[in-house]
Amino acid sequence: MNPAALIPTADVIPVPWGWFYALLMVTFLLHILVMNAMLGGGIIALISTFKGGEKNLLVSREFSYKWPYTIAFAVNMGVAPLLFVQVLYGQFIYTSSILMATWWLSIIVLLILAYYGAYIYDFKYNALGGLRIFMLEFSVGLLLIIAFFFSNNMTLMIEPERWQAYFQTANGSLLNLVAPSLLPRYLHFVIGAVAIAGLYLAFIGHFNLIKSKIDRPTLIAKGMTYFTLATGVQILAGVWFLLALPQPIKTQFLGGNAYATLLLISGVLLALVALYHGHRQRPIATGVTALLLLVAMILLRDLVRVFSLQPYFHPSDLTTHNEYSPLIFFLAVFVIGLTLIGYLLKLAISCRKEVTK
Amino acid sequence: MNYPVWDLTTFGGGFLIALVAVVHVLVSHFAVGGGAFLVLLEGKAYRQDNADLLDYVKKHSKFFMLLTMVFGGITGVGIWWTIALLNPAATSALIHIFVFGWAAEWVFFVVEIVSLFIYFYTFDKMERKSHMLVGWIYFISAWMSLFLINGIIDFMLTPGAWLDNHSFWSGFFNPTFWPALVFRTGISLVLCGVFGFVTAAFLNKPRLRQELMRTCAIWVTAPFVLMLAGGWWYFQVLPEPIQAMILTKSPEMGAYLQTLLWFLPLLFIAALFMALRLPQAVQKGCCFFIIAIALIYFGAFEFIREGARRPFIIHDHMYSNQVYLTDLPQIEKAGFLATARWTSKKKVDPANLLASGQELFKLQCSACHSIGGPLNNIKPLVKKYADAFGMDAMLNGLGKLNNYMPHFLGNRQERWALANYIVKEINGVDDPATGQPAVDMEEQSITIPKFAGAAAEYVLLAWNSTGMHSFSDSSPYWSLMPPGNTIYAQLVKRGDSPEIVTAGVDISYAPEPDFEHPEQQIQFWDFAPQLLGLDLIPGVGTAGKRVSGTMSLDQDRRAFLARDIPLVPYPAEGDYNPYPLLTITARDQASGQILATTRMVAPTATEMGCNNCHGGGWKVNGIAGMTATTSLDILATHDKNSGTDLVKRAQNGEPMLCQSCHADPLLGTQGKPGLLNFSAAIHGWHANFLTDREGSTACSSCHPSRADGPTRFFRSHHSQFMDCTNCHGTMEDHAISLLKQEQSAGKTAANRLLANLSPRNAASVAAIKPRTPWVNLPDCLNCHEDFQMGMSVDAFNTWTAASTDLYRNRRDQMDAMMCEACHSSPHAVYPATFNVLGSSRDSIQPLQYQGNDRPIGNDCTVCHTVQPEFEGHHPNSLRQ
Repeated sequence: MNPAALIPTADVIPVPWGWFYALLMVTFLLHILVMNAMLGGGIIALISTFKGGEKNLLVSREFSYKWPYTIAFAVNMGVAPLLFVQVLYGQFIYTSSILMATWWLSIIVLLILAYYGAYIYDFKYNALGGLRIFMLEFSVGLLLIIAFFFSNNMTLMIEPERWQAYFQTANGSLLNLVAPSLLPRYLHFVIGAVAIAGLYLAFIGHFNLIKSKIDRPTLIAKGMTYFTLATGVQILAGVWFLLALPQPIKTQFLGGNAYATLLLISGVLLALVALYHGHRQRPIATGVTALLLLVAMILLRDLVRVFSLQPYFHPSDLTTHNEYSPLIFFLAVFVIGLTLIGYLLKLAISCRKEVTK
Repeated sequence: MNYPVWDLTTFGGGFLIALVAVVHVLVSHFAVGGGAFLVLLEGKAYRQDNADLLDYVKKHSKFFMLLTMVFGGITGVGIWWTIALLNPAATSALIHIFVFGWAAEWVFFVVEIVSLFIYFYTFDKMERKSHMLVGWIYFISAWMSLFLINGIIDFMLTPGAWLDNHSFWSGFFNPTFWPALVFRTGISLVLCGVFGFVTAAFLNKPRLRQELMRTCAIWVTAPFVLMLAGGWWYFQVLPEPIQAMILTKSPEMGAYLQTLLWFLPLLFIAALFMALRLPQAVQKGCCFFIIAIALIYFGAFEFIREGARRPFIIHDHMYSNQVYLTDLPQIEKAGFLATARWTSKKKVDPANLLASGQELFKLQCSACHSIGGPLNNIKPLVKKYADAFGMDAMLNGLGKLNNYMPHFLGNRQERWALANYIVKEINGVDDPATGQPAVDMEEQSITIPKFAGAAAEYVLLAWNSTGMHSFSDSSPYWSLMPPGNTIYAQLVKRGDSPEIVTAGVDISYAPEPDFEHPEQQIQFWDFAPQLLGLDLIPGVGTAGKRVSGTMSLDQDRRAFLARDIPLVPYPAEGDYNPYPLLTITARDQASGQILATTRMVAPTATEMGCNNCHGGGWKVNGIAGMTATTSLDILATHDKNSGTDLVKRAQNGEPMLCQSCHADPLLGTQGKPGLLNFSAAIHGWHANFLTDREGSTACSSCHPSRADGPTRFFRSHHSQFMDCTNCHGTMEDHAISLLKQEQSAGKTAANRLLANLSPRNAASVAAIKPRTPWVNLPDCLNCHEDFQMGMSVDAFNTWTAASTDLYRNRRDQMDAMMCEACHSSPHAVYPATFNVLGSSRDSIQPLQYQGNDRPIGNDCTVCHTVQPEFEGHHPNSLRQ
């Protein structure tokens, strides 16, 4: 059966696809930042607890305060890109999700458990004592499983050639384990999360948002070290990921497509710069570089999707209904929302200052 | 069908979505109202300078955060994920139509989370006024989330003008938007009181606890006004078909409505109860009870709202099984499987019949039906179908008379495949496609009475008036016809100018010994008072005649008549014989001397095929009679569809005659005003389940006319080149003719039955002439113009004007002989050699008087001692 015959008909979009593309990239960047802090932070806390010692334990204690927020915002910031990816690629992601429905839906349960686990880890940190590490393992383990399911779905949705498997297994128990890029892709995301979470901890130190008894230099140093080490490993994982991509896609990144190639080169260069700043323990410079690096990586990730789906579809194929007023309404709400959040944060920070006084 | 279907079987039928949705809506509405609850109580604590109360508010805010943000937040995402897996087409439609509505909702979701975190973590740390402001910002953002999602949810039920203009705003501010918003705002306030009980009940400060229990009771009860007003308004703005779906049409709705009606006041009372001064242990226990009550109440509401949408997921736009209305023409043209993307079976063939059926079930049915699961389990619903025929008929009529389900979508082969799959795989019937087995009836020899020929003085002719009397033999439960065979006789005195004798003679009739005691065979006489209001002596028919007796004179027709003699097709030894014989004897009244004797068949059948669809099998020898199971299923179906209580009545020993409510010219009942007459009702209803059937298969599904059945009541030579439909029309055309008459009589029920019927052998519904049953019927002369050889076999749609014009009531042009006297009964006009019990059985008199099986008068000397020279009976009667 021709894979193209399986691809559902797409629905009409209200405004040209570029709007959704921009919204998808921006909100995905927000999601990935918070998600990295959540997942990578958990991994760092776990490693720190394993390693033991007062300072390491303080790192994990510091993160425990932040964990529930990061989960809340990782989910929250995930909603928007999931919405926009459904607008642009609904016919692909709905299909791949159904193929692996059991795993995909289990994420909801796993997430609730991980989330409550994180709250217990935070609220009952002292009471847990020796059980602390189990709670940490529990939640981090669940988050890693969730991440694995995500990698499966994100690869399955762009590979209609693999959808045939549904005709043997329609009960939603498929995974995309046969995809050569699955494992490097997964590792690339998990290791990247550790790097960004290291940076996040360093920022907590740098901007003095510390709640535990850890001192700023220690937290900054630990954070930057995690960033640097993880970024070093990440470069290797990235190479593996690149090599594991199907030949036609790989070729595009290795000279076949100028934009893709340039983007990849910039990514590599940015990674080296970030590594340098990280090694020099400069949170701000590293942060700025890492942000640019993340933007490059997100655009590269999108290109993998575009190239994979090239034989079948591009979002520019979508029919447009041309109704702009809801977009304007959303943008207005967005501005109001940002203003409110700004105001709320201002209130929170000023009260924090009062307390500090 | 665009998307693959997650094959869930047991947990299909929307179970997962129900599970996630019901818990989510409870917590998410709490998340809205709870904001106001927190801030208002916080303000109260400040005003009263009540540190204990403030402490409670802080603790409650932690509970609130953990419940709404973690469980509420994630299950909210969970609903989205679940619907995307179970109904991706509808999810995609909602996402694409309302993408910026969702996006705006996401913004408020972010503000909610930011404000709630700040509210919780800055308790006691922030300046009071600012802290309360943070709380209000939370409440407003949460309410805005409700505002936005409310528009999208209600769009699914009432898309309103969106259907025409596809405008975001028309869809969003749809007809139920505002009432639903009022209702949901009310319920979100009620729920924060409900959840407040939980945190309050666990307070260890008795005074504060008591005070808070009262506060929460007020929070639950006061917004009831808003909730009820919103609910009432909500219902009022629903379009009439949706209101009807909720109140009467949907079979599962009753339970939810009942639940709603019980649990709504219960919630109110429970809240008042909680305001009483109770021991803490009781308060602790009861606070969970009241959550359970709220959960059940709100769950029932959501189920009703979802159910009201049937058979759509987006009303008038997309069916629950993801098929767009606009796709129907393509599906009808190409077939369902051919137009579905995600199936490996593109066409039904004998080799993949069951696999195709399974595929169709998965694609079309599993969205709403589980297989053996907790929600909408298909198994009990199809249990009665032991035969693919019945299941196929059910699918044929699906969604036509009760529109809570979509029609079956696909072609005949696909429907048949699905029926076979359901009966075989789901119902576990080994051989689902057997249908009724062919019946071999043993030929029964008969003795033809002697006729003295030229020496004979009299010719006695006798016949049954309708050619077959079917009755249901289901008296303990219901009856659609009592036993009662009407027979006629005419006695002719032979001569140059033969005379019809009507005076000075007695004509008697008697069955074979085996048929003398019908009262020992059927239970009709036990229930005659309930069925007919008649207290009959067992063995006596409804017109006072027994199976043997003397015929009465019908002066108008110059014939003798015995009306409704209660013959049954069950000989004493227990078998089925639909053609009992009567011996007719004419005696001189004065001397008692026998003037003439003949025999006739008195056809009577109980081969009513109800069990083809209603299950239960046959009562007698596996070939005839109505079982209790069949009888009760018919009543249960009637009760379900028409709101009657016939099962209950039957079980109380009060069975009813169908025609006591549904008028019937044959039985002379008036019925209930406004109800369809019996023929229109029963044909109109069942025609929806038996469309496009070949030949007379639809007819023989119910009537005893099956070509390989035990009765085969069409016995004349016409049966060799015609079937029922040539005279009576196809099932659809037949039903349309009956329903149109009722429609013109102002009976609106006919509209519903007509809505999905398409004429088969007429250009349009308008081209079919309305008719009253048993009055307007096809006539022999429709084909046999001027009594000549018929040149056509199309007798449908030209009706007799009155019952006196019916073949069975008409006489020759001299008003002497009745048509039937010489040509025999309808369906068995001479030559009628195709009686299943033997070729002579329907031809006794021609054989007796003429030695052939032609109509009487072939030759004329049967009655005329001198060959007549002019055609006295009818034109062409002297044809050789």
